[in-house]
Amino acid sequence: MPRVDLNTAAPDFELPDFNGNLFRLSDYQGKKHVLLVLNRGFA
Amino acid sequence: MAQLRQDHEHYQSRDAIVVAIGPDSKSDFQRYWEKNKLPFTGLPDEKHSVLKLYGQEVKLFKMGRQPAQMLIDKKGDLRFVHYGHSMSDIPGNEEIIALLDKLEAE
Repeated sequence: MPRVDLNTAAPDFELPDFNGNLFRLSDYQGKKHVLLVLNRGFA
Repeated sequence: MAQLRQDHEHYQSRDAIVVAIGPDSKSDFQRYWEKNKLPFTGLPDEKHSVLKLYGQEVKLFKMGRQPAQMLIDKKGDLRFVHYGHSMSDIPGNEEIIALLDKLEAE
């Protein structure tokens, strides 16, 4: 399983949120810092 | 997640957004977000595409999957990467907020 490394470019991705709005990481470049939280699941 | 909700305004004031990604379905996300009144983005990733891209360990059993946190700065670079080894191994938000202060000062 590859892991991402510090001080390298974050891999871009896009996913619809649970309301159906597309989230694209690169849309925030130059605008916001992004805290990404990978969850293991709620159940 | 409750901690994240409490600290959300600290992130907002530091020009950061919070995005939570998990393997649950859209409806599970919806339910959880409504129940807990979470103010940030939730992305269902049932195909584990992003979870795999970012290397979260997806083991055979769900119990083996551990949370991970990453901070991506405005340039698109990873400035904080933490993979949990157990459920209790979650970094304090203070650590991430201190890093954001540093980034904002750069």
